[in-house]
Amino acid sequence: MDPFATLGIPRTFTVDLPALEKTHRELSRALHPDRYVDAGATERRAALSKAVEVNEAWRIVRDPIRRADALLALAGVATGEEARSTASPEFLMEMLEQREALAEAKQARDLEAVRKMATSVEAQAAEVERALGEGFAAGKAQELAGKLAELRFYRRFLDEVSLIEDELAA
Amino acid sequence: MALFEIFDPKAPPRPIGIDLGTTNSLVAYVKSERPTVIVDCDLEALVPSVVLYEPGGGVVVGRRAASLAAEYPRDAIVSVKRFMGRGADDPETRRLGPYEFVSAAPGESNTVRFKVAGERVVTPVEVSADILRALKAQAEDELRNVGGAVITVPAYFDDAQRQATKDAARLAGLEVLRLLNEPTAAALAYGLEKKQNGTFAVYDLGGGTFDVTLLVLDDGVFQVRSTGGDSQLGGDDMDRAIAHELLAALGFDPARQTPQLVRLVLDEARKAKHALTTQGEVQAVVPGHVPVTVRRERFEDLIRPLLERTGTACRRALKDASLKPADIDGVILVGGATRVPAVRKYVAELFQREPLADIDPDQVVALGAAVQAELLAGVGQRDDVLLLDVIPLSLGIEVGGGVVDKILPRNSTTPSRARATYTTQEDNQTGFEVHVLQGEREMVDQNRSLARFTLKGIPPMPAGMARLEITFEVDADGLLGVHAKELTTGIEQTVSVKPSYGLDDAAVEQMLLDAFDHGEEDLERRRLAENRVDAHRILVATRKALEADADLLDSGERVRIEEACAALEEAARGESASVLHARVEGLDDATKAFAGRRMNRAIAYAIEGRRVEAVEKSVEHAKGVEEAHVTPR
Repeated sequence: MDPFATLGIPRTFTVDLPALEKTHRELSRALHPDRYVDAGATERRAALSKAVEVNEAWRIVRDPIRRADALLALAGVATGEEARSTASPEFLMEMLEQREALAEAKQARDLEAVRKMATSVEAQAAEVERALGEGFAAGKAQELAGKLAELRFYRRFLDEVSLIEDELAA
Repeated sequence: MALFEIFDPKAPPRPIGIDLGTTNSLVAYVKSERPTVIVDCDLEALVPSVVLYEPGGGVVVGRRAASLAAEYPRDAIVSVKRFMGRGADDPETRRLGPYEFVSAAPGESNTVRFKVAGERVVTPVEVSADILRALKAQAEDELRNVGGAVITVPAYFDDAQRQATKDAARLAGLEVLRLLNEPTAAALAYGLEKKQNGTFAVYDLGGGTFDVTLLVLDDGVFQVRSTGGDSQLGGDDMDRAIAHELLAALGFDPARQTPQLVRLVLDEARKAKHALTTQGEVQAVVPGHVPVTVRRERFEDLIRPLLERTGTACRRALKDASLKPADIDGVILVGGATRVPAVRKYVAELFQREPLADIDPDQVVALGAAVQAELLAGVGQRDDVLLLDVIPLSLGIEVGGGVVDKILPRNSTTPSRARATYTTQEDNQTGFEVHVLQGEREMVDQNRSLARFTLKGIPPMPAGMARLEITFEVDADGLLGVHAKELTTGIEQTVSVKPSYGLDDAAVEQMLLDAFDHGEEDLERRRLAENRVDAHRILVATRKALEADADLLDSGERVRIEEACAALEEAARGESASVLHARVEGLDDATKAFAGRRMNRAIAYAIEGRRVEAVEKSVEHAKGVEEAHVTPR
């Protein structure tokens, strides 16, 4: 499946999300199963399968990691499990240290320190996203699996932060 | 049991919306274009969600059951919604309450079982079905013939809780048009009233559950951006907080509380909570004991931790939707517990604006459900309205090391699908165990286990050679189906996720059969009547399609479709449900390719924004592509 084709947009990493959200809404207006309650089974099934495809495409394209993953797959670059281990050893070392620091801040219930780390990682993630945008635009998909792996690590770090924030706030 | 058959085949079936609440339930329908709640003979709309099981098999639902609850604390099940889809060993089922539980026999599912009326055992699904039956009867008094129902569930209900609700409806003999999330239902009721585009927050604090939903309303489309909540947090917890306070003030030893006392104290606590909405303090009187003064400040201190929990969920939902409080154009209050002044104050501070509560917070969910029921039954005139909802919790499967791999993340728009591929860990592994989980945590044991199954029969291969593809599909009710396929051999297995905490399909079927006192023949007649309605609907839709998109048909195809229509019309005049069914399928078959082309045209219109030339071009293209794929039969 090509989620970009489903939504009628070019295969680029840089996307106009507000405009796409609107497109998704218009497609849903045309295809959602609730619009076909009067129709026969064939048409209902056809609409349902298209609606599922459109929702799947939107879920992929709206998220930078899934979007990059889809672009890599379309460019024939190995993704998924294999790609997760392609971050450099230096990067992995650094992430390990950051995770340890996060665990310590959690232990100390230091919400301030947790938020500070989150802000710094968010900035790093934004930088990687920018690099991905440039890389894909320059047609260098082959070199981007490592960058994507980094983004995955940042995402997991930020997910953990959000759970810790909930815990410490409670 | 009813003495006469209420179902009247001559009255047109009317769809209904049901709010199956923790404390109270309601039923509503659309009466001359306005959603309206249905009242009982005492003109009361709220039906207390209380079921009393009497010795000798009698079942009492609603206000009378509630008034007898203190006398028969073990036989009157109150707030059964908190037990839906939960395991018997769940901490939630072990909280302050007067019930007697029965443990599961070996081989039985791990659902909660109440012992009532001496020896009878009932599950939460059966208790809920009794409430739904009472609501259906109340609707039938007003409408004569009830069609399908939209039943609301908390947005934060997980798959097991949704399945349990759907099972209860089936058991009550209701056709479920949709399980609808409560905040979305409320937004629908408000949105149609206000006719205003923007971003809205729905803060829904009910008797036993808390939901927050952020959604965008854009020209009739209600698109949920994110949802969050806590399915074990509500007004009941406020009652419990006061009850613990009363028990302590009266000097009761927690180990020596009788079920009667617990029920009395909980009821008294609820009354005190209600009084504190307008008063600064209240005297709580547990019969036979000295009065205890409860002050509003003390009450507000007691519930502060509960409010903080709702705040955490709201902040998370804002973050998930990439929104700030300032982006919110309006906050809607839903649920009886939002009458508490401290709750309103808290919400106003959280979202930095005064919340709206101009539709009765007890009724708004049922009213929205009635509107959606009308839309889904195909009788409504509002084809400009559409709800786009999401799944509340991520769905995933267990991978090595007890870690969950999330396949479908929370806040994915439904209906949806996602796939992931895995491989074997060991040489010659002939089975894959698939463990399906729901929740946000990294580790398996911190998430909800929904189902386990094993894909068997894989030929021996070296580790890492087999490729297992897992597909998750979530329908518009938010219910999950899982499909597993080994790609090198094509061995497949599909499960609908349910048995862990509910009743399996066979158990529901059996109960249904037991419950039906009509014979086979009645069922057959009813089925024929329903099939005729369906046939008529499909004929109308097909003719409309032929008219709208005549240019997408070649002449031979058009003739085949018209013949199938004629055959169906003839069958609809006949008396055979099976012939009618076959002809419906015949028409479906004849319109297959046409339906696909119409869908592509719809997509082209949506994407191209109705730029005529572009649309025509893409339709031509779609037609060409599709024809290339269709082989003549």
